[in-house]
Amino acid sequence: MKDKFFLICILVLGSYLAQAQTLMSGIVTDDQNEPLTGVTIIVESTLKGDVTDIDGRFTIPAQVGDVLKFSYIGMKPLDIQVTSQEAIKVVLESDAAQLDEIVVIGYGAQKRSDVTGSIASLKSENFNRGVVTNPGQLLQGKVAGVNITSASGEPGAAQDIIIRGVGSLRSGTTPLFVVDGFALDNSVNGVPTNPLNFINPQDIESIDVLKDASAAAIYGARAANGVIVITTRKGRAGQSQINVSASTAVTTLARKIDVFSASEFRNQINAINGVLNDGGAATDWQDELTRTATAQRVNLSMSGGAGNSSYFASFSGEDQEGLLRKNDLQRYSGRLNLTQRALNDRFKVELNFSASRFENSRANSNSIVTDMLQLNPTIPSVTNGELTNLIGDNINPLIRERIYDDLSVNNRILANIAPSIELVKGLTYKFNLGVDYSTTNRDVQFKPFPSINDFELGSLNTFTTSNTNTQAENTLTYSVAEGIHNVSVLAGHSYQQTEVSQKGFFTSGFPNNGVEPRYQISAASEPTTQSAFATINELQSFFGRVNYSFNNKYMITATMRADGSSKFGTNNKYGYFPSVALGWNITNEDFLASSKVFTNLKLRGSWGKTGNQEIPAKITQASFTESNSNNDTYPLDPNATDLSGYPYGSTFTRLANPDIQWEVSTQANIGLDFALFNYRLTGNVDFFNKVSENILLEVAPVDPIQPTDKFWTNIPNMEIRNTGVELALNFSSDETKDFVYGIGGNLAVTKNEVRNSPYSILTTGAVLGAGQTGATINGVLNGEPIGTFYVQDFIGIGEDGLNQFADINNDGEILDNDRFAAGTALPTTIYAMNFNFAYKNFDLGINFNGVAGNKVFNHVALSIFNKGNLSNSLNTTALAVEFPNEDVSNSNRVSTRYLEDGDFLRLNNATLGYNFDLKRLGIGQGVKNIRLSITGQNLLLFTNYSGFDPEFNTGSSIGDIQTFGIDYFSYPRGRTFLFGLDVNF
Amino acid sequence: MKNIIKYTFLVGFLSIASSCTDLQEVVLDESFTGSGLSETVSGAIAPAYGQVSWVWRHTNYYGLQLIAADEAILPHRGGTDWFDGGKFLATHTHSITPTNDLVSSSWNELTRNVSRTLTAIETLTPLADMGNQEAENALYEMKALRAYLNMLMLDSWGLIFKKERSTETSEILRGQAAVDYIESELLSVVNLINTDLGAGRMTQTAVWGFLARLNLNAAVYRDPYGTPNFTDADMDKVIEYTDNVINSGLYELSPEYFELFNDENNSNRELIFALDQRGVLSREHSRWTYWSLAGSNWGRPEFTSSDGTDGPAITPDFYQTWVDAYGNVDPAEADPRFYQGNQQIPAELRELSGLSPANDEDHFYCTTAEEYEFDRGIIRGIIWGPRKDENGAFFRCNGNADVYRIYPVKQIKGNGPDRDVGYVNHELQVDFSNEGRLHSKGYRVSKYQFSRTSPNANSFSSIDIVLMRFAEMYMMRAEAQLRKGETAGALTDVNTVRTSRTAREPVPTALAAIDLEVLYRELGFEFYWEGLRRTNQIRYEKYEDSWTEKTDANPSNRLFPIPQSAIDGASNTPGYLEQNVGY
Repeated sequence: MKDKFFLICILVLGSYLAQAQTLMSGIVTDDQNEPLTGVTIIVESTLKGDVTDIDGRFTIPAQVGDVLKFSYIGMKPLDIQVTSQEAIKVVLESDAAQLDEIVVIGYGAQKRSDVTGSIASLKSENFNRGVVTNPGQLLQGKVAGVNITSASGEPGAAQDIIIRGVGSLRSGTTPLFVVDGFALDNSVNGVPTNPLNFINPQDIESIDVLKDASAAAIYGARAANGVIVITTRKGRAGQSQINVSASTAVTTLARKIDVFSASEFRNQINAINGVLNDGGAATDWQDELTRTATAQRVNLSMSGGAGNSSYFASFSGEDQEGLLRKNDLQRYSGRLNLTQRALNDRFKVELNFSASRFENSRANSNSIVTDMLQLNPTIPSVTNGELTNLIGDNINPLIRERIYDDLSVNNRILANIAPSIELVKGLTYKFNLGVDYSTTNRDVQFKPFPSINDFELGSLNTFTTSNTNTQAENTLTYSVAEGIHNVSVLAGHSYQQTEVSQKGFFTSGFPNNGVEPRYQISAASEPTTQSAFATINELQSFFGRVNYSFNNKYMITATMRADGSSKFGTNNKYGYFPSVALGWNITNEDFLASSKVFTNLKLRGSWGKTGNQEIPAKITQASFTESNSNNDTYPLDPNATDLSGYPYGSTFTRLANPDIQWEVSTQANIGLDFALFNYRLTGNVDFFNKVSENILLEVAPVDPIQPTDKFWTNIPNMEIRNTGVELALNFSSDETKDFVYGIGGNLAVTKNEVRNSPYSILTTGAVLGAGQTGATINGVLNGEPIGTFYVQDFIGIGEDGLNQFADINNDGEILDNDRFAAGTALPTTIYAMNFNFAYKNFDLGINFNGVAGNKVFNHVALSIFNKGNLSNSLNTTALAVEFPNEDVSNSNRVSTRYLEDGDFLRLNNATLGYNFDLKRLGIGQGVKNIRLSITGQNLLLFTNYSGFDPEFNTGSSIGDIQTFGIDYFSYPRGRTFLFGLDVNF
Repeated sequence: MKNIIKYTFLVGFLSIASSCTDLQEVVLDESFTGSGLSETVSGAIAPAYGQVSWVWRHTNYYGLQLIAADEAILPHRGGTDWFDGGKFLATHTHSITPTNDLVSSSWNELTRNVSRTLTAIETLTPLADMGNQEAENALYEMKALRAYLNMLMLDSWGLIFKKERSTETSEILRGQAAVDYIESELLSVVNLINTDLGAGRMTQTAVWGFLARLNLNAAVYRDPYGTPNFTDADMDKVIEYTDNVINSGLYELSPEYFELFNDENNSNRELIFALDQRGVLSREHSRWTYWSLAGSNWGRPEFTSSDGTDGPAITPDFYQTWVDAYGNVDPAEADPRFYQGNQQIPAELRELSGLSPANDEDHFYCTTAEEYEFDRGIIRGIIWGPRKDENGAFFRCNGNADVYRIYPVKQIKGNGPDRDVGYVNHELQVDFSNEGRLHSKGYRVSKYQFSRTSPNANSFSSIDIVLMRFAEMYMMRAEAQLRKGETAGALTDVNTVRTSRTAREPVPTALAAIDLEVLYRELGFEFYWEGLRRTNQIRYEKYEDSWTEKTDANPSNRLFPIPQSAIDGASNTPGYLEQNVGY
C-alpha cells in the first residue's frame, strides 16, 4: 500500500455550485478503513466533480439516480448510484493490476502495464543518497545497462553516462537529457565540471531511462545514446506539504596510494645507488595536500494547491568542499512548478521554472595530485615557519595552491510553459515553449610570485560562455477507449534552436601588488591573445506515435520521427527514425488469470532506429580564413619588419562534405517483465542488439592533395555493435510485518565490437610527458571493442636492465607493429545490489555497485613510478623497484606493464534512518514526519587496482576519437559521512 | 470557450508557421566572403610560401631526411626523451612502418603545401589571363614552388600527385612520368619568372637550380630501387643549368661558412632559395638550431628558456669521414666548416680536472648577452654556458644584471650517473644501448645560430632556413662532369667551394684529385645536416651501407612507406593509392 502515496493524483476538477442542486457528502476509505485523500468523484450526468480531502471527505451536487464515479490510482474504479441524500461511505478496493507505476515516456506518460519499450524508472525514494551534486549520481548502479562513471573524485565531476554500450567513436556518447519535456543541449556551457550540476537533485521526482529504440525513437536523431527523462516534483491539490531538510557531511581521502615513507624512501634510494637529496624531514605529501572536506546543504520545499491550482516550490543552498584545498562548489537554486486548470479541466497550463547559480572554485588538481605522489618525502613543506620555495626542482605545491585560482560562475534559467486544451473529448492540443539560458564566466589565474622563475609574471585566462536553447513544440494527442480497444495517437512538431558563444583572452605579466590578476587586467604587461567562437544550430522535427491495446492483452506501439538539422548536409537534411514494439500481457490470458505464482508477466519486443547528431557544427561547409599568423603568411615585402608588413593569407581550413548525415543505431530488443507471488518478486530481463552505422569520423580523404589532411565523413559499412543482456530483480518481504526487507539487484553484460572499419588502426589516448609525443594507448580495431588498449606486450626486464617486449608479429624486430589488443576499458559486466531493511521506526538501505571485465591503464605509474625518478629523489611506490636488475635509465614505454585489472565492487552508499514517533512526542498534529539519517558514501572498495580508484574517465580525445580508461592523475576520491535531518509539515 | 479554442489553435499554427525553417546552417564566426584583410595575389601566395617552413620542421620532413641518413642518430635519450612512439628509432634503422608518425606528419604537411600552391594557381590563373601582371608573376612562382614540393614528394615516396583543379582527383605519377611532369612545369616558367626577388622567393636561378637537382637525381627517380643509370643527357642538363646560375653573376660563396646560418643570412649572397624569417612570427622557427644541442644548456643568457633538447647527434661513422679526410689533424684545425669557436673561455679556466658542479662555484667567466655567442659547427667535449640558480634565474657577475657567468655546463637532464654531479660532456660514441643513449652522448651539430630575436631558441627566429645555396651549383656541376668523365673540371669546381671559406683560419687545402668517393665525402662536409644527405646517399648507392645502429640493406627502404592513414583514406577507391613495395 505504500506505493500509492507516491502515485500522482492526476485529476482535479472544479466543483462550483452553479446550479441549485442538492449537496450530498460522504467519506472514502480503503479496505483497512483508512481515509483516502485525493479520490476523484465525478457525477456522470453533469460532469461535476470533487476530490476527497485529507480526511477522505467529499461534497458534491447530486440527486438521487445520479451515478457517482470514484477513481483513484491503485484502486479499482467504482460506480455508485445515488439512492438517497444520506451521507455515504465508500470503500475502494485495491487493484493489483494498477499497482504499477506511471512511466514517463517521450511526450506523455503511460502505465507500466501498457509500456511496450524498455524503460527503467527510478522514483525519488530509490535514488542514491548522500552528497549528490547531479542527476547521474542519483542513478549510479540503479538501472541495468546504464554505466555511470565519474571522471574523478572532484565534487560535481563530469560523468560518462553510457546506456547499452558505446555506439560512437566520438565524444558524443552522452544520452539526451529531457527535463520536464525540455531537451537539454549537450554543447559546452563553460562549466568546467558537470554541466548538469545546475539541477537540484532534491527537486527530482523521478528519472526514466529510455533504453530501447521503441522508447527512444520518438527523440529521433538525438536518441542513439539513449534518453534520460527527468521529471521534477509537482504539487497536488489538497495535499499541502512543507519539507525542510538540512545535512552536513565530512569527506576524507578514501584510499592513499602506497608511496614510500621518508625512511623507506631513504633506504630505497640507497639500495639503487640513487642521489638522495635528504631534507631530514618526514612529510606525507598526500596528507599535506588533502583535507577533511565538509559539505552543507539546506533545502526547503513546499507544495500544495486548491481547486484548479497546484504548485511546487523549492529553494536549495549547498556548499561542498573538495578534498583538495581551494576546491569548492556552491549551488543556489530555486524552482517553481505551477499547474492551473480551467474550463472544467479542459484547459490546463503547466509552468516549470528553475533558476540556479553555480559557483565552482577548482584546484590545480593535475599538478597537486602529481606532487602529492612524487614529491620527496624527506623535504619539509615549511622551513623556519616559512613555506619552502622549492621541493627538489619543483615549486612547493603549498605555494602554488596559494597563487593559483580557477573560478567559474554559472547562472542558468530553465523554464517552460505548456498550455494544453482538450478540443473535443479525447483530443488534446498542447503547446510547449521552453528556454534554457546559461552564462558562465571562468577565470584561471596565477598570481605573480617573483621569487620563483616561471611564476614571476602571473597570468590570467578568462572565458565567458553564453548558451541559449529554445524549444517550441506542438502536439496533438487523441485517446479513445471503445470496449476492449484502447487507442492513443500522438502527432507533433518540434523546433529547437541552440546558440553557443564563447569569448576568451589570455594575458600575463602582472604587478606583484596583492591585487588578483582578474581585477587588474589593464595592468598586464605582456601581449594579450583573444579567442572567440559562436555557433547556432537548428533542429526541426515531425513525429507521431500510435499506441493500441486490445483487451489489455496485446499492445502495439509504432513511432516515427523525422529530424532535420542544420548540422546536416544539404543533400541529407532530414533523417527518419521509425520504431515498432509489441507487448503481450500474458497474465491477462485466461490460462494464467488464476495463477498463484504469476501476478504479472509481460513479453515485449521492439525494433527501431535512432540517430546521433552530435557532430561539430559547420562541417558540411568548406571554410577559409584570412590569417597572418602561423604558416598562413610570409614576408613578401622586402622591407617588412613587423606583422603589419606580413600579408594576410587566405587558406581553406575545412573541406566541405554536403553529404554528412547522422549516425544511425538500429536496435532490436526482447524483454520480459515479471511479478511473482503478488509483487513480492519482480524483475525484468532484456536482450538487445544495437548496431551503429554511418559512423562519423574525421579522416584522411582519398586524394591527399587537400587543403586539410582530414575531413568529416560517414564511414560506409563500418559498424559498432553492442549486444547484451540486462537483468533486474527485486524481492520485498511482507510489508505488513514490523520487520520489512527488500533485496534487489541488476546486472548487464554487454559485448562491444567494431566491424568493417576500413582503417587498420585509429589510435587515441595520448601519452603525456617528455619523449612520448605521438604515442598512444587506445586503438580502434576491427573485431575489438571500443576502448581497446593497443600497446606492446611487456615481458620483463632483460639482462641489460632494459624493457623486453614480445615480438608479436615475429619479424625479429620490436616496432610499433608489435602492438596488440590487450583488453578494453569498457567493462563487459556492470552490476549492482541493494538491500533495504525497516524495523519499526528504523530503516537501513545499502547499495553496492561494480564492474568487471575491464582493464585500466595506470598512466600515473607510467609517468612517475619508475626507477629513474626514484634515483633522482622523487618518490614512487614499490612498482618502481619491482625488478631488481632494472636500470635506472630504463624507459617508461607504453605497454602492458602499466595495464591493470579494472574490476571493482564498491559499497557505494548506505543510509541508516530514524523516523520519530510524533504521536509520542505530542506534535503529531502539526508535523507529519521528522527523520534523522546518516549516510556513508564510498564506504568500501574492493579492487586490485594500485591507483586511487579504478573508476575515472578523463574524457580526452585525439581527432575527436574518445579515450577510455587512462588514469591521468585523477582527482582522488573521498569517503563521505552525511548527517541529515528532514522535517515534513 | 470557442474563442479560447480558436486562439489556441491560432497561436499553435502561428508557432508552427513561424518556427518552420529551411535548416540552412547559419555560420556566425567564419566569413565565407572574406573580411577584406587579404589581397588576392599576396593572400594566395603567402600561405603557400609560409607552409614550407612547417614542411621543413624538425619533426616533419627535416627530421625524416636527417635521421634516415647516416649523418644523424636520435636515440631514446636517457630512456626519457625523444622516444615519441619509436618513430626516430625506426627511421634511423630503416625499419619504418606505415604508421610511423614522422612519415605521416611529413606527408601531411607536404601534401597540404602542394594543395596551397594549387589553390594559389587556381586563384591567379584567371587574373593572369586577364593581363594582371602581378598575378602572372606570382603564378610563375607558384608553379615553380609546386614543382619543388612535388620533387620532395618524388624523392621520398617515389610518386607525385598531379592536380590541376581542386575539384578533380589527382593523377598519380611515378618514375619517368613524374620526372617529365616536374621538368615540364619548371621549364614552363623558367624564362618567364622573376630574376630579382631574392632567395626568399622562387626566382629564375632557383628554378635553374631545381632543374639541375632534378636531372642529377633523375636516374634514381626513374628507377628508385635499381642501380641508377646516369646518362650524359641528364648530366649535360645539370651542367647547363648550373652554368646558368654560376654565370648569372648574382651569387658568391660566403667567406665565413657559418654566416650562412646566422641572423643576418638574408643578405648573404650565397643563398639561392631559403625561407625568409624575420623574427616576427612564432612559427619562424629555430628548430634546426636547438634540436641537437644539450638540454642542460641555454644558447642566449637573456632568455631562460633558450635551452636545447638533447635531440640528434652525428653518428660516429659520419664523424669518422672527417677523421679519414684529415688524418692526424683535428678536423677543427683543418676545415672551417667543422667548427667555429665563439666562446671567449679564458685559457686559465680551460683545465677542469678536479672540478665538478659541486665545487666549481667560482669557475666561470663573465660576459654580456650582446657579446655571448655559443660555439658553432660540430660540438665535442664539455660545453660552456650560463647556469641557473635555485630559483631558475641565471647567475650574474658581481650583482650586475647585464653580466652573466658562463660555467662549464652542469648536466641536469636524464637519470644518468652524471645528473646534477657532472658536466655535459659530449662524447663520440652514441647508439641505442643504455650507456650510448645517455643525454650527453654524441657530438652535436650547432650549424644554425641561436637567433637573437628568439626568446626561446624555438620561435621568432630571424635566421632564414637555407634550402639551396650557391655552393651546391658547383658541387652538382662537379658531379655531372665527373659522371661524364670530365675529371679536371670536377676537381676545379670542388676546390672552388672547398677553398672559398677564407674568413678565418684554417682554410682547407685544395684537393689534388677527385673521384666519386671523394666528391661524396665533400658533399657531406659542405652540406651536413642541410636535409640533402639521404638523397645523396641514395644517388651514391650508400643508402644500403651499415652505420651506427643501422644494418638494413633492403633497397625497398630507399622510399618511405605511404602513411597508413592515407592508404586507409583511399581504401574505398581500390587501386588508386598503392602502398610502396616492401611495406
